Order: sequence, then C-alpha cells, then structure tokens
Amino acid sequence: MMRRGLAALLLSVVTASVLSAQRTHAVIITGLGGEPQYSTAFAAQGAALRTIARTQWRAADSSVIWLAEDAAKDPEQRAMRATKDAVAQAFLRLSQRVGPGDMVVVVLIGHGSGEGAGSRVNLPGVDPTAGDFAAWLSGFARQTVVFVAAASASGDFVTTLKGPNRIVLAATRTPFERNESRFSEHFVRGFQNAEADTDKDGRLTVLESFAYATRETAKVYETARQMLTEHAVVSDSVLAARVVYAAAVSSGDPRVVALVAERKALEEQLEALRKRKETLPPAEYEAELERLLLAIAEKTAAIRAAGGTP
Amino acid sequence: MSPHGAPECGGGRTVRRRAVRSLRVAILLAAVGASLHAQPAESRTARVERAEAAARRGDRAAATRDANALLAEYRRGGSGWSARDHVAAGRAYLLVSSSDASAVRSALRAFDAGTAADSTFVEAALRASDLLLDKYNGPDAQVGYQAVLRRSPKHPWATLGLARVMEFSGQGDALAKAREAVELDARLVPAHLFIAKLHLEAERNDSALVAARKALAVDSSAIDAWAVVGAVAWVTGDSAGYRAARARAERLSPAPAAFYVTLSEAAARQRRYGDAERFAEQALAMDSLSVPALGAVGTNQLRTGDIAAGRARIERAFAIDPFNLWHKNTLDLLDVLGGFRTVRLGRFEFVATAREAEVLLPYLAPLLEEAYDKLAARYDYRPAAPIRLEIYQRHADFSVRTVGLTGLGALGVSFGRVLAMDAPSARDPGTFNWGSTAWHELAHTFTLGLSANRVPRWFSEGASVLEERRARRGWGAEATGAYLSALRANFLRPVSQLNDGFVRPRNPMEVGLSYYHASLVCEMIESQFGAGALAAMLRGWRDGWTTEQVFARVLKTALPAFDTRFDAWVKAKFDGVQLAAEPAGDAAIAPIRDEVLAREVAKDDRGLADALERLLWIWPYDVASHVKLAEASARLGDHATAVRERRVILALGPTDVLGARVELARALLGAGDRAAARREVLGILEQAPTFEKAQLLLLDIRKAAPPGGAP
Repeated sequence: MMRRGLAALLLSVVTASVLSAQRTHAVIITGLGGEPQYSTAFAAQGAALRTIARTQWRAADSSVIWLAEDAAKDPEQRAMRATKDAVAQAFLRLSQRVGPGDMVVVVLIGHGSGEGAGSRVNLPGVDPTAGDFAAWLSGFARQTVVFVAAASASGDFVTTLKGPNRIVLAATRTPFERNESRFSEHFVRGFQNAEADTDKDGRLTVLESFAYATRETAKVYETARQMLTEHAVVSDSVLAARVVYAAAVSSGDPRVVALVAERKALEEQLEALRKRKETLPPAEYEAELERLLLAIAEKTAAIRAAGGTP
Repeated sequence: MSPHGAPECGGGRTVRRRAVRSLRVAILLAAVGASLHAQPAESRTARVERAEAAARRGDRAAATRDANALLAEYRRGGSGWSARDHVAAGRAYLLVSSSDASAVRSALRAFDAGTAADSTFVEAALRASDLLLDKYNGPDAQVGYQAVLRRSPKHPWATLGLARVMEFSGQGDALAKAREAVELDARLVPAHLFIAKLHLEAERNDSALVAARKALAVDSSAIDAWAVVGAVAWVTGDSAGYRAARARAERLSPAPAAFYVTLSEAAARQRRYGDAERFAEQALAMDSLSVPALGAVGTNQLRTGDIAAGRARIERAFAIDPFNLWHKNTLDLLDVLGGFRTVRLGRFEFVATAREAEVLLPYLAPLLEEAYDKLAARYDYRPAAPIRLEIYQRHADFSVRTVGLTGLGALGVSFGRVLAMDAPSARDPGTFNWGSTAWHELAHTFTLGLSANRVPRWFSEGASVLEERRARRGWGAEATGAYLSALRANFLRPVSQLNDGFVRPRNPMEVGLSYYHASLVCEMIESQFGAGALAAMLRGWRDGWTTEQVFARVLKTALPAFDTRFDAWVKAKFDGVQLAAEPAGDAAIAPIRDEVLAREVAKDDRGLADALERLLWIWPYDVASHVKLAEASARLGDHATAVRERRVILALGPTDVLGARVELARALLGAGDRAAARREVLGILEQAPTFEKAQLLLLDIRKAAPPGGAP
C-alpha cells in the first residue's frame, strides 16, 4: 500500500514537472588501469558516473557517452573502447547534438603524465593530449563546459583548456604530482550522498562537488598519516559556484508554482534581512530571522503537500 | 621555525673547511716573518690560563680583559703563531664567547689553525673536538678524537672525548670508556669528573662521591668536583656535608656559579623543580651570563608553570649561546605552544590546539575532576588549582617539553602541578589509553605534592599505576607472562633497590616490569597497613625522612624485613598462576571494536554505549564511533551524552557540517534545551534557508514551545 502510494507520488511529480530548456551531456572517459585494481576502480567509477549523469544530471541516454579501457566489460554493452579516434568521434557526434546554453560535462579518469599541452592520460593506443582535447572542445563555444581531469599529473589540463564559459578541474596542481590520485573516487562519491551539497539547497554546484572531492581526498592522506601528494585545482571558482550539473526542474502545477514563488519572495526578504544584520539590534534581527525562516519552512511543507519538489 | 635563528651546531665541517682555505693564504703570508713575530709560546698559554682561572673564580671582567688583550695580538699578527699559540688564542676566544657568539667560530678556526701549523700538536685537534661536542656536533667531534687515537691509540684525552661522544649520542658504554681514560691517566681530572657526573645522573650517589674525591685528590681546587660532593650531600639530606662542600667551593671562588648549577641539575633529577630553580637563580646571581644557569632557571620555571618568565630566561640563554640545541628546541616548542588554546575548566587549565581541546576536553575535564576528588580523598591532600595539562599532538613537541630533545619514549610527564602528555593523535591508534595516562600523571601531582617532591620515583610510579587500575575496569598494567617469568626468576629488584629498576635498568624491559612491580608494592602496603599508609609514607618523605625511616616509622618495619615480606606476598599472589593469554592491555582496540559490533547486532544499547566509551579513551577521532554513541545514548534517554557526542562530531570537522549541526540541535532539543536547539537551527538556516531537514526541526521546535512562551 505504502509502495503504491510512493509510486503514485513519483508519477505525479514527473507528470507535473517539465524539464528546463537546458540539457546536460556527458562524456566519461576511463583510461588504462595498468593493474587490475586500478582497471576495476576506473571502470566502477565510469559506470557510476553514467548512472549519475542519467539520474542526477538528467542527461538523455543518447547524451551520455562512456569510453572505457575494456568496453566488453560494460554490463549494458553501451560503452566504447577509449581510443583516441573514438574520443574524437564522440566529441564530434556530441557537437552535432548540443544546443546553445546546454551543458557538457567531460570526466577523464586515469593515470596522467606529460606537461603543458602535451599532458595526457593513458588510454588504449595513442594517448590524446590536453591539446587534442582543446581542439575537440573548440566546437562547444556556446555551451557551458565542465572538464574534470581526474588523473595524476593533470595540472596542466587547466592551463591548456581553461577559457570563457568553461570550468576545468584537475586532480593535481602541477604535472609533477605524479603519484596515484584519489580524486576521481571522491569526485564520484560526491554525487552519491548529500554531504557534498554544503548549502543544502538540493542542487550541487560544480564548486561544491570540487570542494567535496578535494576535502575527502585530503582526509584519506590525513587518516593514513601520509603527506598530501595531490592538490586539486579549479580554473574558475566564481563560475563553478554558479553552475549546477542539472538545471532546475520547474513544476507544471500552478499551485506549486505559486507556492514556490511565494517561498522565493520570502528567501529574498531573508537575503535583504541578512544584509542589514549589522545595523539591527540582535534581538530584533533574530526575531525577524525566525519569523522568515518559519514562513519559508511552512512554504516548503506546503509545496511538499501539493506534490511539488521544494 | 623559531624566530631566534637556527643553531649552527651542525656547521662545524663547513666552518672548518673555510678556516683551512683561508689558512693556506695566511701561512704563505706569514711564513717569511713568522720568526720575527714569534714570542715564547708558553707565555701566551700562561696568559690564557690566567684568564681561565679568573673566569673560574667568577672574575669575568679580568678574564675578558686578559683574553681580549691576547686576541688583539692574534688579530694583528696571529697568522704566523705557533700551534700552541693558536690554541691559546682559541681558548681566549671561548672566554669572550658569552658576549660574542661569533667568537665560537673564531675559536674553532684558531684550533684548526693550530693543527695546520703543526699536525703533531694534537691538543689543537682535541680542543677543536671538545668545542664541537660542546656545541652538539657529536659526529665531527668523534672524527676528531678518532683521528688523534689513530696516531696515539692510548691518548687519555681522546679516549675521554670518545666517552663523552658516547654519552652524547646514547650509543656505547660511556662509563667504561671513561674508566679506560682514567686507567690511561689516573690524574686526568676531567675524566674523574665525567665519571662522577654519570654516576650522579644515574643516582649512584656513593659512586659519584668516590669519583669526585678522586678528582679532588689530584686537584683540590676543582670546583666541579666540590659541586658533585655538594650535590650528593644535598640529595641525601646530609646538610653538614653540603655546607662543607659549599664552603670549599666558595673558598675557591667567591662566586661559584657552576657549583649551584650542578646542584640545580641534581635537584631537577629528583623532581624538586622549585629547589632546582632556586639553586639556578643563585648561580645566576653570581654570573648573569651563565648559559647553564639561565637555562636551568628557565627550564624549571617552565616546569613549574611560569611560562613567560621561563621563556624570557631561555631566550636570554639562547642569545648568548645560539648553539644550544636544548634551548633552541625549547624556544621552538614555546612558539608552538603560542598557537595553542588555554582553557580553564574547574580545577584544571588545559593547553592544546583548538581542535584537540574541542575533541578531548569534553571527556578529559570530567575525568580529571573525578580523579582529583578520588585522589584528594585517598591521600587527604588537595593540590592547589589550577593544575595545568599540556596536550601535544606531535610527540616530538611533548618530548622536547619533557627533556629538551626529541626521542623520548614516554607518553606523559608530571612536573607536579604542570602535566604534559601526548594527544591520542600523536601516536597510532591503539598505542595508548589517553584516559589512563592522564589519570596516571595526575596521581603524580598528589604523590609529588604531598611529599614536597621528595617521594622516590619507584613509589610515585607504583602509586600512579595502582591508581590507574582503580580508575576504570581494564585500565593500568596487569601481570604479563614476562612479569611472571621475571618474578619467578628472582630478576625483579627488592623494594629497597626498586628505584634502580627505573634509573639503572639492566635491560630495556626492566623499566616496564618495575612499574607494575612497584604498583604491587603500593597495593600490598595499602592492603596490609591500611588505607592511609601510602599518604602517611608520603608525609614522612615530605618531612625529610629517608626511605628507611619512612618504612620504620610508618610501617613499623625495617626495610630489609619488608623486602622479605613483600617478596613472599607477591610470590604467593601469583603462586601457580598461569596466564591463558597475554592481557590485551588498556589500549587494545580490536577487542572493543568486536564488542561494539556484537552489541549492535544484539541491539544492546547500554552495552554498546559502554564499549564505545571505552573505545573513545583509545581513539577519539573516529566520527562513526561518535555517531553510534550519540544515537545509542539518545535511544537510552541519555541526552547529555548525545549532546556531548554531537558537539565532538562537529569538532572533528565532518564533511557534512550543516547536517551534523542539525543532529546537534536535535540532541539539544531531546535534552530539553529548547533555547539552544533553536539558536543552533536558526544559525543553520541563516546559512542554508532551504535546508529541509533543518526547516522541519525548526517547526518541531516551535511545536515544543511552552504555551505562551517564545515562538
């Protein structure tokens, strides 16, 4: 009975909602492991990211491309072997599908090496370089691109790929941090729990996921009492703080739309109050803060009750 | 990094290489006119010896004046001097080094120049090596001594030098090597003195006295020997002997600073830090530039909790002698301490990093208050508050705090009302139980304080271990297989010699065995002589009684008889005892983790909470354990513990900070502290107004408002 009720609720959410115009596309590349443990880990991270892209980034199946070390091991049999040609083809194909304002997320996982534009991640056959990726990404000037170089020695991907409307994350600050990187593992994990969403607004920004992965990676070293040998970097933290992996979903139910608008207005009042904090007597500020927060909480409850997603 | 600059004790080789290079030029220039400048070498040696004698008398002005006169000549034309005269110049440089640290390098150059002028004049090399060793460069000093010994294998001075290197490095038998030096030259006073000080440090007072007397038989004016005699007399309570030694020292020098420095060191070894500070102050009053005196005053002030004054003295010492590794380490440590947080809670003052304070004090403060109350009742003694506890998250810092150097194996130290210990994070998980360690150190505060710091080490350690065992189930040392074997093999020392088990162990295991053995002595005394016996004994020591007198007057038994009685008692206690397995010890994590899992499966919240509490005393940094304890406590209705745990989780820096704060607010609400819960949740939502979990809690808090109360 309970399960049927929940299914009905989910259905109503889906039918009452319309996706925003912005679409997210994902290219996931998992490179050569070199050793079984890395091959297994990279493959698991690639598979997890594919699921995340579909479910959390709301990317269409056809907009999620996974290029793997061993495509035959993909249970869905949809991955492609991650050769340089295949990667080039994937970007070409994607460039023909994207629309203006869309978001393209590229995640590159593996063992890196090289410097500058010659930085590379080991793939089957000839390794594509950061310079190659720069060329392939030139076809996405009207999209927001998030490029995650989750590999050792990947620091120079940032300098090679950064540009307008583009966020580049790299697991290491320089190409000289060559030890095994743990960044990719925590980057993926950031989407698998609610902890990465530090402001608890239900929307994960690129900066939040970067900060989570960086923090959790550092903890691994700290717990093991090892020197931190990878320092992740982000090319544009201002843009990264604004960009979310999936566009907001708006409801088609006018009651929910109205409630969301009312809550938005309250949030704006709260924002205005916070700006005046230093000028108000503390007791007055706190009373008003509580009044607004209670009102916002009540609106959230009302949105839920009306079948909306707060 | 200390702002005081790095010591240059490791730079001897470089200094010496530079000296040799510059010397090549100097020798060429001086070769022609050397004979013109030459003066009788003995006269320069005699002059510097006169200056050294003045310094020993405490007449620093005369010493400096004579040394500077010699150095003025050396600077004008010393390059052509003989090896002996170079050495005289080097010695003169050392006399002025208290006001000019660079003079130490000049001295080394002069000694090296002596060797370059005449490689057969080994005194130059020996003095260079002595200087290097004095400035903590043991390896280079060793090379120098060995070079002399290759040339002259039975050289007493070089042999003594190697003994000193052994003592410095802690490697080899320094005492045996020093005895070798005495066999080679029975009139080598520094060797006798070195032996005397080794004995004194090991509390072999009779042997120290014998060695000092041998030095005095050769040179009755050796103040250092009278200092050893005085120190032994003071330590053993021989006030007449002490006064006599002091009088001899004062007759030799109106200001025998070195005498009081030696006394200060002896007092500190007896843990009588107040006396140590007082003796060092007397030395300082006689010689305001005495680095050992400044260091001793400063170090003992740090031990008694006067941090600012101690720092000032150590800084002054380091300004005079920037080569002093102990002082450099201590100043670096004080820089570290400057970044710590000082928290006064009840009768304790805790000093730790902000994170350690937030994580550890919620447990430590109530534990130590409980310990204080129990110990105060047991010993009928209440140490004055505050008792300071410094907690170090780097073991090296704790080690420097304790002995001035890194590498100490201990976990905690008690200077009386100043305690220091490793934070659990300073060691690997499962290495030690920080709760029992803190309890142990606080017990010392009582035994030291009640006895005016005169309790023998064996008794103080024994009482502390006994108190650990009483504190919590499973804490403190237990009988091990090694202990039982040692007991049955009669390896363990009788009570009358038990101190030797701590200060002169025959093997590395003996110290650990002695801790447990001493705790059994205390246990037996209490069981057979009454609950107040331990405190009565401490009061006896306080009143200046010897250990023999304490046993005779308090326990009404002669010490030898007690030895026999305890031996019988302890052997009967363990008669036929066979350990099925070695005890896990109070720091074993694995068995408790297994218990936690079993209690979780059995849904035994009470047992689970108990196991988790024990786990936290070993490793308090595991967030998951705190979460489990918070949840179990909440289910048990123990909301105070749940709140404590939620606060500690936040202090540990969880990934999901706002989520952790919501749990804290929920725990506060559960504990009935609605106002605090409201404040917390408002703070969360101020940052994250759309955080639904916090919104729901805010609505719950409103519902929990009393009728007509705040919203």
